[in-house]
Amino acid sequence: MLEACIFATILCGFFGIIFKKNLVMKIISMDVMSTGVIAYYVLVASRDGFFTPIVSNAKNGAYADPVPQAVILTAIVIGFSIQALMLVGVMKLARDNPTLESDEIEKNNTP
Amino acid sequence: MSNITIAWIALPFFLGFVIYLLPKLDRYLALSVALVSAGYASQLFVTQSPLTLKLLDNFGVTLAIDQLSGYFILTNALVTTAVILYCWQTDKTAFFYTQTIILHGSVNAAFVCADFISLYVALEVISIAAFLLIAYPRTDRSIWVALRYLFVSNVAMLFYLVGAVLVYQADHSFSFAGLRVAPPEALALIFLGLLTKGGIFVSGLWLPLTHSESETPVSAMLSGVVVKAAVYPLVRCALMVNEVDPIVRTFGVGTALLGVFYAVFEKDTKRMLAFHTVSQLGFILAAPSVGGFYALTHGLVKSALFLIAGVLPSRNFKELQHQAIATPIWIALVIASFSISGFPLLSGFGAKVLTTKNLLPWQAIAMNVAALGTAISFAKFIFLPHGGTADVRPAFWAAVSLLIGGLILANVVYYDAYTVENIIKPLATIGIGWLAYFLVFKHSVFKLPRVLERFEHLIGVMSLILILLFWKGFVWLGI
Repeated sequence: MLEACIFATILCGFFGIIFKKNLVMKIISMDVMSTGVIAYYVLVASRDGFFTPIVSNAKNGAYADPVPQAVILTAIVIGFSIQALMLVGVMKLARDNPTLESDEIEKNNTP
Repeated sequence: MSNITIAWIALPFFLGFVIYLLPKLDRYLALSVALVSAGYASQLFVTQSPLTLKLLDNFGVTLAIDQLSGYFILTNALVTTAVILYCWQTDKTAFFYTQTIILHGSVNAAFVCADFISLYVALEVISIAAFLLIAYPRTDRSIWVALRYLFVSNVAMLFYLVGAVLVYQADHSFSFAGLRVAPPEALALIFLGLLTKGGIFVSGLWLPLTHSESETPVSAMLSGVVVKAAVYPLVRCALMVNEVDPIVRTFGVGTALLGVFYAVFEKDTKRMLAFHTVSQLGFILAAPSVGGFYALTHGLVKSALFLIAGVLPSRNFKELQHQAIATPIWIALVIASFSISGFPLLSGFGAKVLTTKNLLPWQAIAMNVAALGTAISFAKFIFLPHGGTADVRPAFWAAVSLLIGGLILANVVYYDAYTVENIIKPLATIGIGWLAYFLVFKHSVFKLPRVLERFEHLIGVMSLILILLFWKGFVWLGI
């Protein structure tokens, strides 16, 4: 069930990138998609249990797998920096194309 | 050896930031990094034995370095050196050199890694550095082209990440070898990411616009090495996991034909070269076991051609046919064009023969057609009028002679190719190609539509390729 919701999120983001006309909306759709991907990593990590694997005196429980979480941290940072970079690019484009319609920008800037 | 490897991977990133702190030393530091890479690659050819590094237990970073990566690293080192030499006398800022070196380092990292997550990190750093390089002129068009590139590659990499976690679920490690036990959807998602990033088949049609609209040195870098960062893992997967070999080969053939089909009808020099990159990547994938040598040849020749195309008086073939270009430039252009068409005495010949030897029977006809298309499209360059004058910087000649010298030297790698039968075949292909050019293609005014290159279609085609890959994965893995 949870898996289906996550895939629905990924697909929503993907179709948003295709169907939304505004460039900022496209970037937000991409963020929705990457949120879905991150959630999927968390889901895979929690297959065996939810406990955080930290050394302590507490008794052993069903621990979550630390590897996918550690890995997805990199992807979160990368995704966030790419988003920042893209928004700066869009800001520059917005000076000459205030509506930010991707079709218009594409028509003006393709040789 | 393993300490040297780690130091060598870290060096470009470290020096990249040092360049920004010491802007006066920018080109010297950048050049030294590229030379260190060249030294490291040549040392790989001497030692012969493959090196495997495993950092942080079995789910950490794995690196695998052998001769195949040696070829790719050497390509990267030579192309970066040439690009830095080319920019020597221009007023590029330290920022440009910083990005070039970070790009160089991340491409190197992609060429040595053997697990999906370090590959992901390397590919994303490549995206960011390439974005900054494409957007360097800060015009509206360059920003749009760069934005489009980052968008397409980031969406592809998100699919790739889902595939990577599916591999982890099946194998409890991210290594390439885990692909064997992974479900077919993992294969489909990972391959979609890599195919799109590498500009292969229909999902790679973002490549022509991006490569042709960026500045000359940036195009040379992008076409010469950056696309190969995603092709290398495909080749590596095909070598490590036999089941995916037919899939990689099929995509190789499809790409070779698609790229050359567009290239033959193209009327713009840089776009023609960019489409040709698509087709040559197909050649690399069509015979994965010898892909390294082909990648070296193609990287050298394509960056040389892009640098030369940058100093031609016009980008339109129609205008160039009425305007004599300077003879020395023409000679360099002809040498490079001959190499890529597979003329003997240049390394393109050895690479083509080696690839042809390693093809499966069903691939042979299609690849010969692609080779013929190559000859046709480069006849456009060879038969340009010459004798005019042009003033180019000496730095241009330093860069181009390095690349062309590399082509001639790389020729000795496979000297077994020189048999009569092997020599006659490429010559016949070139002859037929030139004939076809004069009879048909010189006068054709047919222009292919650019519909598939629109941004939304690029993203949409990804879903189609995903379906195709699913279907292929199910058929070939026999599940």
